[in-house]
Amino acid sequence: MTVSRISETSTMAASQRQKLLDRAVLYLSFAVVAVFAFFPIYWMLVTSLTPANQVFRFPPRLFPASLTLDHYQAFFDNPTLLRYFRNSVLVSTATAVGSILISTYAAYSFSKFRYAGRRALMFLILSAQMFPQALLLIALYLMFDELGLLNSYWSMILAFTTFTLPLCIWMLKSYFDTIPDDLIEAAKVDGAGQFQIIHRILMPLAAPALVSTTLFAFIRGWNDYIYALTLAGPHKMTLPPGLVLTYIGEFQTSWPNLMASSFIVSLPIVIAFLFMQRYIAGGLVAGAVKG
Amino acid sequence: MSRRSLSTLLVLVIVLLVSLAPAMAQEGGKFTFTGWSLQEGATRDVIMGVVAEYSQATGAEITDVSYPYNEYLNQILLQARGGNLSGAVQLDIAWLAPLAAMGVLKDLGPVAAEADYTAAALSSGQINGVQYGLPWTTASIGMVANMKLLEEAGITELPTTIAEFEAALEALKAYDPDVIPYAGMTDTAQLKDIIPWIWTFGGTVIDDEGNVVLNDEGSIAAVEWYAGLLERGLIAADMDRFDARQLFAQGRVGFYDDAIVARGLVQSNAPDSDLADYVVPVPRPVLNEGDAPQALLWGHIIVVIDDANADAAAAFAKYITTDQDTVLNYFEQLALPPTTQTALDSETVQNNAYVATWSEGITATARTNPFWPYTQAAAMEQALNERVQAVLTGEMSAADAMNDAHDEISDLID
Repeated sequence: MTVSRISETSTMAASQRQKLLDRAVLYLSFAVVAVFAFFPIYWMLVTSLTPANQVFRFPPRLFPASLTLDHYQAFFDNPTLLRYFRNSVLVSTATAVGSILISTYAAYSFSKFRYAGRRALMFLILSAQMFPQALLLIALYLMFDELGLLNSYWSMILAFTTFTLPLCIWMLKSYFDTIPDDLIEAAKVDGAGQFQIIHRILMPLAAPALVSTTLFAFIRGWNDYIYALTLAGPHKMTLPPGLVLTYIGEFQTSWPNLMASSFIVSLPIVIAFLFMQRYIAGGLVAGAVKG
Repeated sequence: MSRRSLSTLLVLVIVLLVSLAPAMAQEGGKFTFTGWSLQEGATRDVIMGVVAEYSQATGAEITDVSYPYNEYLNQILLQARGGNLSGAVQLDIAWLAPLAAMGVLKDLGPVAAEADYTAAALSSGQINGVQYGLPWTTASIGMVANMKLLEEAGITELPTTIAEFEAALEALKAYDPDVIPYAGMTDTAQLKDIIPWIWTFGGTVIDDEGNVVLNDEGSIAAVEWYAGLLERGLIAADMDRFDARQLFAQGRVGFYDDAIVARGLVQSNAPDSDLADYVVPVPRPVLNEGDAPQALLWGHIIVVIDDANADAAAAFAKYITTDQDTVLNYFEQLALPPTTQTALDSETVQNNAYVATWSEGITATARTNPFWPYTQAAAMEQALNERVQAVLTGEMSAADAMNDAHDEISDLID
């Protein structure tokens, strides 16, 4: 073997070692990030399966000595919690439907039409996102009180829709911007009206954006605490304030029950994400790059 | 009697009953009962059972409304401001002043006069001499000890003076360095627990004329002493009451401060099923023998919103706080002491050594938090808490901190 071949072989070996090292560092970084991201979820699951008198055992155990499903059973045995669950589904679904309906037409208007005040109106809608939402609580409370909407589903649906609309409109507008105007012109030439253009051309094409926007609006209604607590009243209360009311008391918090209930409550969102992740990824980044 | 007469009599009886029914239904009235305990796991069944019994007995229509404890004050203030708060309302005694300041509460003095509430209990529901709240349970924030741990550390007698207390803490620390001898509150939000220590060292906080006296010798000495405990490792940093309970339940704390329900709370989280047997109430150690042990009063009251339903709601409030069977059942189920002399003298309460010791040794000399009568109470507590925290972290001297707190709290009162 000549000197040059030996040298070439050792260079290749060094290069392969370096690649292995780079890969190992990369996977280690992924592992560290994964631990940070998933360990809280793992701990939540473990706590939900641990008997109550072992939850704060010291030193803590990564794997509990015994498991129980009692805390999950307690959720399904509690008719009040099931009522909160039903209220959450109702309010979140209505918020999502309302948001998507309004934002679709608004986004189409901003994207495909040109009229005086369009930019100002878009800016005004987007600037609503800059307000801390808690600031509006008192104002909305008084307004709904005057309108007789307190302690009703409508108060929550209207409040949540108010907060989801700006971002929904902006997300959909960005997606509609990527749809070529030529498509719309061609449809007009074929005799399609605005109604047909929106419902038969734009909305099917914008499916990923519609899915991600709908899910965003649903999650907003599903997770809200302070507005649901203040506006809903005892019989229309949703899960977030309902779980706090049931499990976080004056003297103690029933952590295993709370973890079990939180796990159950998060499942619909997780399942929705799993099935729709293809659409969500597409919808979120669409319109990010022009051309 | 002929059949015709019988029929006539039957019709008359039916008519009488039907005409009386609305009156009977109205005897109980129609009102709302708002409280955080109505839906909490531990208290829900007991309280809703009482509500159901009362409704059945009187025909009252009671609508229950609940908010979580940590959001409760904000929610009821908002509801009151919007005119949507009505009926009977459960309150922590710390929250009476802001609600009373809104002018929506009924004077329950005449109602209270019909019952034999204790003087201490009544005081918890009074603002400027007006009885706004009927006391539901009255106790105190006191000290509890794990007697088993103390005995293992060689402590056979509970300390009664500061010197004995320090010796006990040192003994616990020497026995096991991992044990926290005293899980005193050091988390900023809980540092209002310094107030009974200030009283112990002769400080005043706010005098009878409403002057802030936080920068007196006693207050400064108390804060210096407390910071000294932290330096010596006899208390731990960033300790709040939830942490203290969990650590006590694990057998890792000798002494800590809690409400009278401490024994039940720690037992529910303890791996040791016999822990409750070792939990004993400890009157706060005094500076000099013969001084009275100091403690903060704690409890729940029921207030009534002054509107069309006030009388019915007041009748319910009186029932739930004084009916002997009801209050004793409440006591047996939840270990919350009743507020009437008759109930306190009953065998049920007297035979409970833990509660009897707590009531006689701690609650008997408990005092109201001096900030509570003010609507700015939360801000005043925050000012004191932050200054004490600054001393604990070494940022300020006790004298400077108490002078600062004195100035800020005086401004808040003005």
